[in-house]
Amino acid sequence: MQGKISLILISAVAVMVTVGCQKGAGNTVKVGAITSVTGSQAAFGEAHKNGYAIALDEINNKGGVLGKKLELDIYDDQSKPDQAVQGVSKLVDQDRVPVLLGAYSSENTKAIIPAVTQRQIPLIIPTATADNVMDSKSPWVFRICAGANDYARATIAFLKANGAPKKIAIVYENTNFGQANRKSMEAAAKEAGMDIVAIESYEAKSPDYKPVLQRVKQANPDVVYLCSYLLDASTLMRQSQEVDFNPKYYTSAGTGFAAAEFPTAKGAGKNAEYTFSVSQWLPAVQWPGSKEFDDAYFKRFNSHPAYHAIQAYAALHAAADAMNRAGSLDSAKIRDAIKSLNLPSTPFGPVQFDAGGQNQHPVLITQVQGGQYHIVFPQDAADAKPIIPAPKWNERK
Amino acid sequence: MVHFLQACMNGLLTGALYALIGMGLALIFGVMRIVNFAHGSFLMVGMYVSYLLFERLKINPYYGFIAAGIFLFGFGYLVYKLLIQPIRDRSDFMQILMTTGIALILVDTAQLTFGADYHQTNIDLVNRAVHFGPFTLNAASLLSFGIATVFIVGLREFVVRSRTGQALRAIAQNRDVAPLMGINVTRIQGFSFALGIAFAGIAGGLLLPALYLFPSVGEDYTLKAFVIVVLGGMGSIEGAAMGGLVLGVAESLTSTYIGNQWALAIDFVLFLLMLSLKPSGIFGRQRA
Repeated sequence: MQGKISLILISAVAVMVTVGCQKGAGNTVKVGAITSVTGSQAAFGEAHKNGYAIALDEINNKGGVLGKKLELDIYDDQSKPDQAVQGVSKLVDQDRVPVLLGAYSSENTKAIIPAVTQRQIPLIIPTATADNVMDSKSPWVFRICAGANDYARATIAFLKANGAPKKIAIVYENTNFGQANRKSMEAAAKEAGMDIVAIESYEAKSPDYKPVLQRVKQANPDVVYLCSYLLDASTLMRQSQEVDFNPKYYTSAGTGFAAAEFPTAKGAGKNAEYTFSVSQWLPAVQWPGSKEFDDAYFKRFNSHPAYHAIQAYAALHAAADAMNRAGSLDSAKIRDAIKSLNLPSTPFGPVQFDAGGQNQHPVLITQVQGGQYHIVFPQDAADAKPIIPAPKWNERK
Repeated sequence: MVHFLQACMNGLLTGALYALIGMGLALIFGVMRIVNFAHGSFLMVGMYVSYLLFERLKINPYYGFIAAGIFLFGFGYLVYKLLIQPIRDRSDFMQILMTTGIALILVDTAQLTFGADYHQTNIDLVNRAVHFGPFTLNAASLLSFGIATVFIVGLREFVVRSRTGQALRAIAQNRDVAPLMGINVTRIQGFSFALGIAFAGIAGGLLLPALYLFPSVGEDYTLKAFVIVVLGGMGSIEGAAMGGLVLGVAESLTSTYIGNQWALAIDFVLFLLMLSLKPSGIFGRQRA
């Protein structure tokens, strides 16, 4: 009896699986995306998911891809690099997606590059800023966002134009993202003739950064450059207040300091005030469609997007455009179509990849003023004046 | 000098919580000769209990930790009855496998139930600082320190003075003779296992406001607990308290003077030094 039941169950499952596969192959086209839906970087995975969702609707409303409905196959890497690698194998070997987007962090993105290169699947990177994700020179890898070197150069240019401070300290979280940004800033600051008075790293998962901040405070920098994700960015600002660390400029390599949650109660709240950050996009930028993206996002998710969401949005649009022009689901043909991609006007600015697979994207400097991000540099894009120096903690309300 | 003292004070605040964790492990080891590889995972469970109370019922973690302690006392007793008692006379190897297995199941259950997300209880107290003279201490850490001290002193008094405490020490000294003196070994062992786990739960509840919570948060604490117990002398409860304080201060000084990334490494440097130079621990005795 039991044997019979299990036999029926097995055949039922088999039928469902076959039907499911046929459906997948018949009426829809799938794109794979790896991101951090859960784990320490879940806030950014959420932004990715929302950005993808808006792009997906736009694409399907305009007729989908190759006349079929586009579907997104998301794999949650739990903010862990080994899980991200497993995602490549699940999405490519099992689900047979022809093109991949992701991952979120630089650490996880670097981890999946050998796996996608080996499987010869094109990968579009939306958000990883560590420049070593492009080091492999893999012909299958493309990056939408600007990198750590661009961040450091933009920050230095901003500082030069606004008081030209001399002494800088760098504080970074000790994974690929933080290390890359520290390296870039160290080089850029040296080149600009600045005095690097302290370089400190911390482990993001043990949230007592006070000793680190204490040491940076003793070095007495004019500027601190922080390379952090969201949880650590919030904790760093809270503990900066606690140790009464008062540099004139709190600058940062975006990411946590540019997340939509950072200036809210979910992040650092009012401790976020006066912090500068590099940014790749804000609703206020002049690119056509960015305001509409912001509106659509707000209507759907009831919050304003940060640049991580629109980078995911731009990556999915780029993939869809390439698939349509390739006229096929063959990965090599899609790759060639991505290479020749030219989208001169998207809400994220022009998107076109150079010979190394990099999209040249301008970097803005923002400051949190009154709980909002405002663009303060470059001047032609600015919508507010920078407030310098940041008031001392005991003088803040 | 101010910096040095400030670092020492920060270290003592963390150290008191380490002491709670270490004392729980030492109690279990002293009375049962079982090395509990699931100690940090029980601590994680305590954190989730306190977190859920905060999230769902808006109960402040500084009350929630009591619930975490009580829950884990019951949970610990259940684990003892179902899983530990049947293997308590088997080889050390069996016990290691069993407690490691329990740890894996606890962590994976938490991951399945709550996901891999990081959580934080942003209570107001965490954002306050207490200033006195040139020193600054975090208000939440200071409160945790005070509560932990009460429990540390309480456990020590209990073990030294109460009848159950005497029975507990008798078993630790000689498990074969203790029953001849009319001590119910099974009952006392179950009690001390549950009490040790309850201490891990209390420590978890008190750590919650200052930490991020995620399913594998306890793994570091299992390792720390071993270091603490070895520093204090295997099975010595006072030793574990001292070991915890020493470890907290050592981590804080390392982080201040050498670098934050070395703070975790110092645990094992101390561990190896202690084992090779004075294996019997700071207190220099083998037994509780």
